[in-house]
Amino acid sequence: MAERCAVIGLGQTKYDRCLPISMDGLVRQAALRALEDAELTFADIDAIVLGKAPDQLEGVIMPELSLCDALCAVGKPMHRVHTAGSVGGSTAITAATLIESGMYNTVLTVSYEKQSDGNFMWALSGGRSGGQGAGGSFAPWIRNYMKRSGAPEHIGWQVAVKDRLNALKNPYAHLHLKDISIEAVKESPMLWDPLHFLESCPSSDGAAAMVMTNAAGAKRSPRPSAWVLAHAKRTEAGVFPGRDPVIPVAAMDCAKALYKKAGITDPRRQIDCAELYVPFTWFEPMWLEAHLIAEPGEGWKMVDSGATEIGGDFPVDMSGGVLSSNPIGASGMIRCLEAANQVRGTAGDYQVEGARVALAQAYGGPSSYFAMWIVSSEPNPTFK
Amino acid sequence: MSEFPVSFTLEYPYTRTPGPVIGPFLTGLRDGRILGIRCGSRVLCPPMEFDPDTGETLSPDFVEVGPSGRVENWTWIAEPTRKHPLQEPFAFALVKLDGADTAITHAVKAAGPEAMSTGMRVTAQFREERVGAVSDVYFVPEGDAREQAIEPGEGEVEITTHLISLTYEGKLHPHNARYAQGLLDGKFIGQRSPVSGKVGIPSRGYDPIARVVLTPADDVEISPTGTVVSYTVITPIQYRGQTETEPYISATIFLDGSDQALPQQDIRDIPLDEFRVGMRVRAIFRPPAERNVDAVDNDWMYPTVGDVVERWAPTGEPDVPMDQIPETM
Amino acid sequence: MAEDIAIVAFAQTPSYRSYGDSEASLIMGIVNQILGDVEIDRYDIDFTIAGSCDYLLGLPFSFIANVDGYGAWPPIYESHVEMDGAWALFEAFVRLQCGDIDSALVVGSGKSSSGVPREIFPLQTDPYVSAPLGLDPVSVAGLQARALLEAGKATERDFAEVVSRSRRDGLSNPHAQVAKDVSVETLLKEPYYASPLRKHDLPPISDGAAAVLIARGELARKLCDKPIWIRGIDHRIESHHLGLRDLTDSPSSRIAATNLGLDPGSLDVAELCVRYSPEEIVLRQALELGNGTQINPSGGPLCGHPVMATGLTRVIEVARRIRNGEAGRGLAHAASGAALQHNLLCILEGDA
Repeated sequence: MAERCAVIGLGQTKYDRCLPISMDGLVRQAALRALEDAELTFADIDAIVLGKAPDQLEGVIMPELSLCDALCAVGKPMHRVHTAGSVGGSTAITAATLIESGMYNTVLTVSYEKQSDGNFMWALSGGRSGGQGAGGSFAPWIRNYMKRSGAPEHIGWQVAVKDRLNALKNPYAHLHLKDISIEAVKESPMLWDPLHFLESCPSSDGAAAMVMTNAAGAKRSPRPSAWVLAHAKRTEAGVFPGRDPVIPVAAMDCAKALYKKAGITDPRRQIDCAELYVPFTWFEPMWLEAHLIAEPGEGWKMVDSGATEIGGDFPVDMSGGVLSSNPIGASGMIRCLEAANQVRGTAGDYQVEGARVALAQAYGGPSSYFAMWIVSSEPNPTFK
Repeated sequence: MSEFPVSFTLEYPYTRTPGPVIGPFLTGLRDGRILGIRCGSRVLCPPMEFDPDTGETLSPDFVEVGPSGRVENWTWIAEPTRKHPLQEPFAFALVKLDGADTAITHAVKAAGPEAMSTGMRVTAQFREERVGAVSDVYFVPEGDAREQAIEPGEGEVEITTHLISLTYEGKLHPHNARYAQGLLDGKFIGQRSPVSGKVGIPSRGYDPIARVVLTPADDVEISPTGTVVSYTVITPIQYRGQTETEPYISATIFLDGSDQALPQQDIRDIPLDEFRVGMRVRAIFRPPAERNVDAVDNDWMYPTVGDVVERWAPTGEPDVPMDQIPETM
Repeated sequence: MAEDIAIVAFAQTPSYRSYGDSEASLIMGIVNQILGDVEIDRYDIDFTIAGSCDYLLGLPFSFIANVDGYGAWPPIYESHVEMDGAWALFEAFVRLQCGDIDSALVVGSGKSSSGVPREIFPLQTDPYVSAPLGLDPVSVAGLQARALLEAGKATERDFAEVVSRSRRDGLSNPHAQVAKDVSVETLLKEPYYASPLRKHDLPPISDGAAAVLIARGELARKLCDKPIWIRGIDHRIESHHLGLRDLTDSPSSRIAATNLGLDPGSLDVAELCVRYSPEEIVLRQALELGNGTQINPSGGPLCGHPVMATGLTRVIEVARRIRNGEAGRGLAHAASGAALQHNLLCILEGDA
């Protein structure tokens, strides 16, 4: 890398079903908070990278064109990433690349979704009847995972409860379900067997932003940096004979490339916590396996043992995760942001004590797009 | 080979929350007033939430501008689109309203291009029916303006609705047309890759792994009998255009002799407690006159067998044991 | 110090009025062509990035299917921009600057034929105050044209000359969709469409795709005899409020040119993303392109406008002329948004 990338500012909006603000106001709120955190202004920004999921969600084509004024991008490069559900993660990675290339010193990246402007189920179905939603597509794969691993059905309920309890500690989270319990999850309507209503993510408005800079910028920055140790992306063809969408090869390849780059040899031990993209409960154990943190068939046992709770040996989705807030286009970036939040030691009530190395992951499409990064409180941590 | 035209309309009434600046602007339009916002020594119209030069958030200091102003630039639209605010020839113009320092782009209704000129004066005309949208107003040459008595509406405009409706037309790609014709004939037509030997259904017209384009010579008829490899029960979520209301089984079925499962096959007549992975099923086609392939399109993400399968009937064969169900789907 | 990065291979489809098969199959053809031209295994290409637009087909996530066109099994390191392929090239160039990978495949593709672009693209404008008016790129181009006339920066004859020259140049471009020998006088007799523009000032509606393979110095030399070096690439955006813009100028292009240290006198050729004839005049003046620079010898987008590949096609048209010796140094320009709101410049050069 020509330069190292440090995350020096984080900004989020409150996530909610409908935020009564404009899209300009939405992205500005996150961006201004990130700039304030970095103690910088728009004038300090060299380039802007915008990410969001399909333009059909808001009915706005290439929104960089109508949001460039709001983000003070006039006269600057403004780039737009779109890699399906993984887009927020991909956007963060593209922004980091702008820094690592040595071509830009300070970059603002913003991801958002204003789901309340439209309707995700409608958009995903292409406006046709019979749309089953993402849950309808993923449920058969989840069922397949349960068969393969022999996981009991309460694993999904446990993830649902853990993430919602975590969300109670995060003021930005959309869902604050004070009465969440295994019983409540079990009793909630079955939407896509085996997925209950409370095992699914909400539909949220919201935006997330990060300010990134190089080593010189990090040195000047008043608050701790989260150093990007490594990032990786992998894509595989979405449909072809013989594809395994349950534990996709792309998910494993992505993790291998990531760990190699970061110098990680034993992810479960050497990574302190992770923000994984879990829109439906079962993806927590599935990703733990697909990303080589748990042995094949053992991911659900990590959930069952409480290892993925805050206080466990491998906390996952401390912020409440996608299950508690899902502004789709931003959801991947929120994972990256929350990983940075942990290693900067600024995660407040959901801080993992002593977190030094954190993993973030996002996926998209028919489990065919993966974007991951690892951040650390130190630019060059050593792993034993 | 018959051609299969495809046409669909992507339509949704987007509901936008305009926020603290565009909200009052739209409320103003509904109430027959045009608002600008103070930005230093300037007045911006249309108003913005921030100073476009510095990015500084502006306080909501609104100023009424217009209703008349000067045309800074214009173009005469000889053939309006269905999306334009006026359905007869009109001008789009940049109008700097009296009291504003920036121009708004809007429609001017005039007798013809001869009636338009840069520097001319125009006046806002409000529509009879106003809904809190930018299209509540248009402009006319100042001399053509009518006096209007506008009754203000109630409350603030908190939502502005934009019905976006786009129609797309084409025809089925050749391999999809043969697939659709097969369904009408009561057959599942897939394609076998000459490179991998794998059979895909519906084919996408190429082998995505070997990256070779397939031809009609690669078409193969696939058995209507197969194995359930996974399923879920769908409780339909209601959205615009959704017609499903009752829960149903959605199964993934591997047809014998194919290498790619048919996802999302509706099962309506097998009780849930009898349905299981490994079950052998056979497609029972509707009578020819009742077969319909309107739902088949070029969009592979939602593969469909159209409306030709009346039901998937259990064959009564023994289940395929779990360990012989393909790990991959 | 910037890394030396070159285009080693490129391919484009013709511009079709309507291509009867999938976008993925369009891409498959040109990617296979590149892989046939260069001795590299598809899976030895380090990074792949594509640009396309969901709204052209009216399908969310339509780019997921396009992956088949360039192949993603085994899995690849890949990304996608909802922008013209020229911006995918920008990101690939930035990525290769990092120094840890050596090659990237860049694709741009679009099928505009099934929709009505003039009804679709108002959705690029401000969703609160412009899009509900159906403010479309053709109308905004009409405003830009009149602004030029009234500022004394162009005449209607200038627009017609751009069209006449471009469409004539298109006759020698095998990928052109619209090409003919038509005089300025004949063009000026046509009725207005979005006055002062006439229908011939507009681009055709096209389906098409373009792809380039880029590589870092050593690999670039290994893969081809005549690498076409990317001497710089930059893009800049302007306000989306027409009332805040000077439509007769392209300040964003000028910033990019300054940032790249562009010497207009050094350019043998410039392929500009002239979707509407007045845009050529704005760009020529903003970039100070002189008579020594041949403009749009391919005929430009007026002869074929496969949206999302149009900008990347400009890069290819310059690269082609450098490779075949017609030019030593050239400029490719891509644009996004109405009236040149967002501009990308890419300077290309052959070995001396």
